[in-house]
Amino acid sequence: MDKQLELLQGTLDMLILKAVSLSPLHGYGVLLRIQQISKERLEIQQGSLYPALYRLEHQGWVSSEWGESENNRRARYYRLTAAGKRRLLAETKRWNEMTAVIAGILQATPEEL
Amino acid sequence: MKAWAQLRSWTSALLGRRRTEREMDEEMQFHMEARAADLMTRGVPAQEAKRQAKLEFGGMETAKEQCRDAVGVSFVETLMQDVRHGVRAMSRTPMFTVTAVVVLALGIGANTAIFSVVDAVLLKPLAYLDSGGLVTILMDGEDPVSVANYIDWRDQSHSFTAMGAADFWSPNLTSDDAPPEHIAGLKVTQNVFPMLGIEPMLGRLFAEGEDKDGADREVILSYRLWQRRFTSDPSVLGKTIVLDGNGYVVVGVMPQGFQFAPFWATHAEIWTPNAFGARIHDRGGNSLRIFARLGPGVSLAQARSEMAAITGRLEQQYPATNRNVVVTPLKEKVVGGIETPLLVLLGAVAFVLLITCANVAHMLLARAATRRKEVAVRAALGARRGRLIRQFLTESLLLGLLGGTLGLLLAVVGTKALLAMSPGNIPRVQTVSIDTRAAWFLLAATILTSVGFGLVPALQASSVNVSDTLKEGARGSSESFRRSRLRSLLVVSEFALALMLLIGAGLMIRTFAALQAVDAGFNPHNVISIMVSVAGSKEADAGPRETLYRQLIERVRSLAGVEAAGGINHLPLAGDSWGWPFVIEGRPKPRPGETPTAIYRMVTPGYFPTMRLPLIRGRDVTEADNTTAPGVVIINERAAQEYWPGEDPIGKRISFRDDNANPPTWLTIVGITKNAKQEDWVATPFPEVYLAAFQNKDFLGNPKSYFAYITLVARTAGDPASVATSLKEAVWSFDRNLSISQVVTMDGVVAEATAQPRFEMVLLSIFASVALVLASVGIYGVISYSASRRTHEIGVRMSLGATRGQVLLLVARHGMYLALAGSGAGIAGSLLLSRVMAKLLYGVRPTDPVTFAAVAMGLGVVAMLACYLPARRAMSVDPVAALRCE
Repeated sequence: MDKQLELLQGTLDMLILKAVSLSPLHGYGVLLRIQQISKERLEIQQGSLYPALYRLEHQGWVSSEWGESENNRRARYYRLTAAGKRRLLAETKRWNEMTAVIAGILQATPEEL
Repeated sequence: MKAWAQLRSWTSALLGRRRTEREMDEEMQFHMEARAADLMTRGVPAQEAKRQAKLEFGGMETAKEQCRDAVGVSFVETLMQDVRHGVRAMSRTPMFTVTAVVVLALGIGANTAIFSVVDAVLLKPLAYLDSGGLVTILMDGEDPVSVANYIDWRDQSHSFTAMGAADFWSPNLTSDDAPPEHIAGLKVTQNVFPMLGIEPMLGRLFAEGEDKDGADREVILSYRLWQRRFTSDPSVLGKTIVLDGNGYVVVGVMPQGFQFAPFWATHAEIWTPNAFGARIHDRGGNSLRIFARLGPGVSLAQARSEMAAITGRLEQQYPATNRNVVVTPLKEKVVGGIETPLLVLLGAVAFVLLITCANVAHMLLARAATRRKEVAVRAALGARRGRLIRQFLTESLLLGLLGGTLGLLLAVVGTKALLAMSPGNIPRVQTVSIDTRAAWFLLAATILTSVGFGLVPALQASSVNVSDTLKEGARGSSESFRRSRLRSLLVVSEFALALMLLIGAGLMIRTFAALQAVDAGFNPHNVISIMVSVAGSKEADAGPRETLYRQLIERVRSLAGVEAAGGINHLPLAGDSWGWPFVIEGRPKPRPGETPTAIYRMVTPGYFPTMRLPLIRGRDVTEADNTTAPGVVIINERAAQEYWPGEDPIGKRISFRDDNANPPTWLTIVGITKNAKQEDWVATPFPEVYLAAFQNKDFLGNPKSYFAYITLVARTAGDPASVATSLKEAVWSFDRNLSISQVVTMDGVVAEATAQPRFEMVLLSIFASVALVLASVGIYGVISYSASRRTHEIGVRMSLGATRGQVLLLVARHGMYLALAGSGAGIAGSLLLSRVMAKLLYGVRPTDPVTFAAVAMGLGVVAMLACYLPARRAMSVDPVAALRCE
């Protein structure tokens, strides 16, 4: 396994929105989903997932309800709301623009200037 | 503390907090267990898997706290914490708490009380339907108009949906089962009540046509009269009651609190339709007050210009009438006169609240200094600055709310006291109460005050330098310059505000003294008056009336304790005053608008000596001036100067009527009296004439209720109030059906005439005294605090040979500087502000140097005393003890 990358500030919310956009998940499931997609290359403070989830719910981007987990335990499932969907799109667009710009800057060579 | 637990659990349940907490717990537990299970499937032993899951998760409590923050659950929790903390802090310093709460309660309570008066009198709309559209139309904005003019205005104007008129009426109500009573009432045109939009509580309003001649025999009663005289009996409707000996049918009862008219005849309790009869052509007898409602979409300016056009035309047609007719919004007419005094009082009481804020801010700053350790420790443990400010503000709000609650009680009591001492002429004052609006005001004042006195101390207290404070050890000697400068600023502003209030009070005291020194012309001490009305009694007719009057005066003269007695129709200051035009014999007919006019009174022999109103020349009326003798009249000095300048009026003749229908009845001037006060205590007296009452047909026999009475005056040897009962008994010994009113001492009448300035003086003095006390406490606090902090320094200085005088100077100097600065600012402020009081003042200018100097000096003495006391304590410091301590 490669060395894990530390999460950039402010990106956790976006990742959570993406994770629950694929299917409703409980908190631990969000962690697993992100790790699965990122091939475990991101380091996520597990405890910090929950304040982020609460904050997203408070802002109306995800909603939650209690359901049954795979091993028949009670768990709280989060799903993306319509507002959350819009938010995710906007965030994704912003992120893509940002990375393109930054990548462009980082790839600049003296000849181009 | 059980109450706290209950309150807390209640709040939590309300917010579903317990459930949130449980779910949060469950969710995180699930996470760790699921993680541990995953780890176990990878072969980690159970024990180790659990440990690792916990480790990976991180601090669960921190996470929870952040979750709570995320959804705002912690707001209430923190508030509760702060409140508990605040309560503990307050109960640790009970003296501080009690002082602050009492001071705040005084400030907030006084403000609420004055606000409730201002609100009821000035702010609330008049209690009529759409009262904003109501106007009153009067000559010169205050004088009544004649019937013919009213009819012309009504018929020619288009700006108004209705224009009605009201005429004064004061009938005698007689009945078999109760003593007769003189009742204040109004004769109104039929359209007046519909215009006001108030429905009667019982019965109906006047119907169309009931104000036509011969049909005007209906009355509507006020709620109070209905209660008082008719035992709230609904069957009074349709019954006939006897007024001035005539029967009137009761058709309606108005609801409780209904008042009409609102600015004059405000005590009217009975209304009847006004039939004008022959007066529809009368342009001379001005007695109607006109009320109108603006038409929809018609502005005041439009109505005014239309009325100006109409009256301009009428003035051309009938010279000397219709001049300066003013359309005034009804509310402005009602509250216009009291607006300035009330706003001055509101401003003054707001100053008191500002001083209160400054004072409590002071106390908080001083206390914050002793709490710096606590703050530093909390800051060191991780409390953010915002959190500390919030906690201090919560404490301030707690203090404020306690003060506000006590203030509410004070406001209720204070409003009652205000009403009890308020002069009778404040409109709508009977509607004053601590209602919801006043309660909202109180709440707003409380919160603003709390932030006002709490914010600066909170900002200061929270900005501690942790390591310095903790290092300083127990000494804490170095109060920062910034901090002491702030406290000084507070003292200076307190002093400035207090000085302004004191100057306001001083000006009112000088005004009142000037009013007291006004010469009434007569001597009001030891005089009592009683008004006897014969309307509706068996003595109403000409013969019996004269006999009764003569016998009454004789009977009063013979009463024990009475030295002299006489009679007059209208008592000066308390009674009506009628201005009547007259002609002077041998002079050319005056040009329109230049007709001689005088206030018209009728006196019996003995009136002038009883009132001690001196005759300057000529003679008094005597018993010989009877109906068979030639008519005589006495004039006042002003009339002599005005109408006979450079001439001797004695022997000249005047007449109150001279037209084709009535040939002149000449009255010879036989005497000149000193000017006596008439209607207004400060106004220069108008020309006045006194007719001999026992020669006057109206006085002796006119059945109209406004002629059928006499006001008896009696000069007593001792306290005039003590003969009140025997006076009434004397009157009723002739006839139980005579109605008695206005049993008042002349001193009381004079006091009533100066009641409003007295009210303003008393209130301003109270506010200024409170301000003075608070400001003195403020300066005392600052000086004694700084002296106590400098004990060590003083000890050093004294041991190095400083004299007691030098120490005194050292300590007191600072305080005196503050007082001087405050006084300077206060004098500057007063010079700017006192002119708003100009309308309230009499005999003194708003910038009266005597008042300014006296107040500044007085305040200086108080400041010196407030500085001297702590300085004296500092002088008596034992240097050895001072050096050893700390």
